[in-house]
Amino acid sequence: MKTIQSYISLSIILLFATACTKVVDIKVGNDTGRLDIEANVTNTSLPQVIRLSKNVPFTDTNTYPAVTGATVSVTDQSGQVYPFVEGPTGTYTSNSLTGVAGNTYKMTVLTNGNTYNASSVMPAQVMLDTLTSQNTPTPGSDNKKEISVHYHDPIGVDNHYRFVLWVNGVQERVVFAADDQFNDGKDVSVILRQDDVDIHAGDKAVVEMQCLDQPIYLYWFTLSQQSADGPGGSVTPSDPPTNISPVSLGYFSAHTTQTKSIIVK
Amino acid sequence: MLRIPLLLCFVFSVIFAFGQKRYSISGTVKDNTTGETLIGASVRIKEIPQGGTSTNSYGFYSVSAPDGDYTLLYSYLGYETVSRQVSIHKSQVIDIRITPNSSLKEVVISANKPNNDQISSPQMGLEKLNMAQINAVPVVFGEKDVLKTITLMPGVKSGGEGNTGFYVRGGASDQNLILLDEAPVYNASHLFGFFSTFNSDAIKDVSIYKGGMPAEYGGRLSSVLDIKMFDGNTEKFTVQGGLGLIASRLKVEGPIDNGKGSYMVSARRTYIDLFTKASKDSTVKGSSLYFYDVNAKANYHFDSNNAIFFSGYFGKDVIALKNTFGTNWGNTTGTVRFNHVFSPTLFSNTSLIYSNYNYVVQSFQTDNSFKATSKITDLNLKEDFQWSASDDHRVKFGFNVIHHNIEPGNISSDADNVNDINVQKRNGYEDAIYVSDEWKASSKLTILYGLRLSGFSLVGPGTIDTYNTAGEVTDTKTYSSGQTVKSYYYLEPRFSAGYQLNDENSIKVSYNRNTQNIHLLSNSTTSSPTDLYVMSSNNIKPEIADQVSTGYFKNFSDNKFEFSAEVYYKWLQNQIDYKDGAQLIANQDVESQLVYGSGRAYGLELFLKKKYGKFNGWVGYTLSKTEDKFAAINNGNYFPARQDRTHDVSVVGIYQYNKRWSFSSAFIYGTGNAVTYPTGKYSTGGLTTFSYSGRNGFREPATNRLDVGATLEGKEHKKYHSSWTFSIYNIYGSREPYSITFRDSKTVANTTEAVETSIFATPIPSVTWNFKF
Repeated sequence: MKTIQSYISLSIILLFATACTKVVDIKVGNDTGRLDIEANVTNTSLPQVIRLSKNVPFTDTNTYPAVTGATVSVTDQSGQVYPFVEGPTGTYTSNSLTGVAGNTYKMTVLTNGNTYNASSVMPAQVMLDTLTSQNTPTPGSDNKKEISVHYHDPIGVDNHYRFVLWVNGVQERVVFAADDQFNDGKDVSVILRQDDVDIHAGDKAVVEMQCLDQPIYLYWFTLSQQSADGPGGSVTPSDPPTNISPVSLGYFSAHTTQTKSIIVK
Repeated sequence: MLRIPLLLCFVFSVIFAFGQKRYSISGTVKDNTTGETLIGASVRIKEIPQGGTSTNSYGFYSVSAPDGDYTLLYSYLGYETVSRQVSIHKSQVIDIRITPNSSLKEVVISANKPNNDQISSPQMGLEKLNMAQINAVPVVFGEKDVLKTITLMPGVKSGGEGNTGFYVRGGASDQNLILLDEAPVYNASHLFGFFSTFNSDAIKDVSIYKGGMPAEYGGRLSSVLDIKMFDGNTEKFTVQGGLGLIASRLKVEGPIDNGKGSYMVSARRTYIDLFTKASKDSTVKGSSLYFYDVNAKANYHFDSNNAIFFSGYFGKDVIALKNTFGTNWGNTTGTVRFNHVFSPTLFSNTSLIYSNYNYVVQSFQTDNSFKATSKITDLNLKEDFQWSASDDHRVKFGFNVIHHNIEPGNISSDADNVNDINVQKRNGYEDAIYVSDEWKASSKLTILYGLRLSGFSLVGPGTIDTYNTAGEVTDTKTYSSGQTVKSYYYLEPRFSAGYQLNDENSIKVSYNRNTQNIHLLSNSTTSSPTDLYVMSSNNIKPEIADQVSTGYFKNFSDNKFEFSAEVYYKWLQNQIDYKDGAQLIANQDVESQLVYGSGRAYGLELFLKKKYGKFNGWVGYTLSKTEDKFAAINNGNYFPARQDRTHDVSVVGIYQYNKRWSFSSAFIYGTGNAVTYPTGKYSTGGLTTFSYSGRNGFREPATNRLDVGATLEGKEHKKYHSSWTFSIYNIYGSREPYSITFRDSKTVANTTEAVETSIFATPIPSVTWNFKF
């Protein structure tokens, strides 16, 4: 239960109020040039985008070399093949594919003589009801706000969610993943607890809610466990389990998407 | 248990024909001023150098000699040696009281040669801690602490600041059997590991077995930390206590029925929350942050052959944030023990032990309120016999039955936002019978050999799934109450031998096998109170460790100095790790989240100790390697365990300057934890994400720290005594990394940075006032 872990992290933060941090030079390893496939198929009619790139050393800037010249396609469960057209900087797009909830999609990427396959099921969409904002409870965080999402979880089915939060147009650097192990069929509120950027009254918050299948949820949940909420809360990190075979970095996710925004009060 | 008759046959078969008629001298050794029994006091017969022994956990001893006149010598570190002339024509009881040395007198070497147990005993891998030294070692916030001091021993590694566990010879932190008056303590830490649950006011004796585990101990792979509480003063009512920066302590003790019995109650509580209550900030005011613990003990001696002991411990940590959440966790233990001396040579103890650990996490948020609980409860019956069969054979045998009950997780909610969940309880029985014999094979060679048969059964009621390696259910069966789901039996040989080259030098070897059926699952790199205990099952096999070790031991300058060099190699089987994204809390299918592997640990430990004198202390050095191997991790290759520590140095010095002032210092240096750092980065979901190759391929920076302390004894008063303890933790402000995390740079756009968090990067001074009357 993510909430419990975040409470334990909060306890540790309370206790270690004296803790101090500093930026340090750490010698890290160098295992780069690995393929990263970031592939999404959603239920909107926007162009579907699959992005191919390579990872870079920790000490470089956050610019990832594009992988060009690949053959990329997605096949739906009726066998219809949607070829993705190469655009700039390693992006491959399709304007003809719109994902349908309940359908299974298969992705094929042929690059550098290797074929990568993945399949993902787009689950039924659960609607995001409302967004709310409230004060952050941690002592000393006066006037800081946090955002909650509210939705009704359908009973009797396994649901998996991911939330993406933007504040004033900038994406928060936190992975939010949730499932319904503890609240199947309930009215659910999830606090998007984060300490990346302070949120204040008047800020504009935008939240995207994605409904995911289990393997993709595991991908995001694993990442969320590694992005420590604070000292002591994280697991030994590793590349999250991908649904792509043979293993590469990244994922292929067929998910529903819905976006809401509020002005923080 | 049905094997007990068999066991007894075995015990009797080790007895050899006695030549000459011998008589027993037995009794207890006590402190003259407090009446506390002394554990491990040496009892020797001057005329029969090989016939010595030491007192057991209850201060009881038994030696034997043929008809004649003898001089009995009773000695104990920090006490005057007492000699007693006896004419032995029949078995007799001699209870002895010995008097503590005043500290300055310790400088004088007593006429009788002090104890050279380290040389003469076959036991190895054992560190006995002297409470006086524990109390002198400086610690953070001045809270003297048994567990913190233990991590200054070679082969015992601290988990670092703010980490619950300690690691013995590479073993995981759940592989230590921590016993408080024989009751296992599951979570030995307060406030996430800043303090141990052991209030040193209440503690009489501490021993840690790192290897060569005697047959009477079992159930954990790596170590036994055996902690005994004070019995209480049999002579007079006394009160002692202390006021520290963050906690206060109070202990009362006194006699029962004119010293036939005694009692002791010791309690401590932190009071940071008294300050938070005074805060103007309403959130702070409504929040809690404290722990407390209570140790209580009472005993009654019906006669010289029968005595009963009650001991209990209760401790709790509470952390809460107003309107947000609350969490508390704690241990409760209780022990009832009955000593019976069947004959001067046969001592028995029967223990009935209760142990419980539980935690509660509550959310107070209006639209997401719930309460999650988890607990483990043990009921334990233990029977131990010690039989001084002859001067050459000292036999121990007994049995142990433990009932474990684990409630892995219950979630309840008043609000309608969370479903109630009750993860099935699990019940299991852990049984063992053991026998061991310490055999003085010759004047030079002593062999301690034994056998422990341990069994474990997971029993119903319950619906039990069997999982394949992918974590999918392959079989589901429902069991009725008491029906066996799965049983395991293991024979655990225990063997140590010591060969005494001369009075000052010996060499020893040992081998032991240990098994473990209670496993702690933790999916974070440091332990948390919400870590989950599971039992061996149809899916989880018992963990097994085999350890061999050998060592050279030397005493010099009239046993004032002890030196030892030990090497060990340990093989570990059925070790447990978890899959990526494992969800452990209130998860019915938690066993589907586990992977199994093996491990190995080896090392060299050097230890030089000055046991007493105006200046005393020790230097320890460990060179070691600890590796794990799991098919699914690191391509199935060995990788360093997080607690792998190549070099580890500790230096402790205690100096008695004069009657009033004493000074102490402790220095540590150690290789950093083995950790996993990124080997690259990429972008996923719009966020900078790090990529990894291999597990624990990097090292945190080495740790080093110097702590100093001073004690000022108050002027002598008839009615009371007081003292001040001053300490400075981390005097030169060394940064011990608590964690290193990686993130997008906050200063340079489009780049990443590594951030080190440390908890006590500055010197932490503290002062404590202690009193006694």
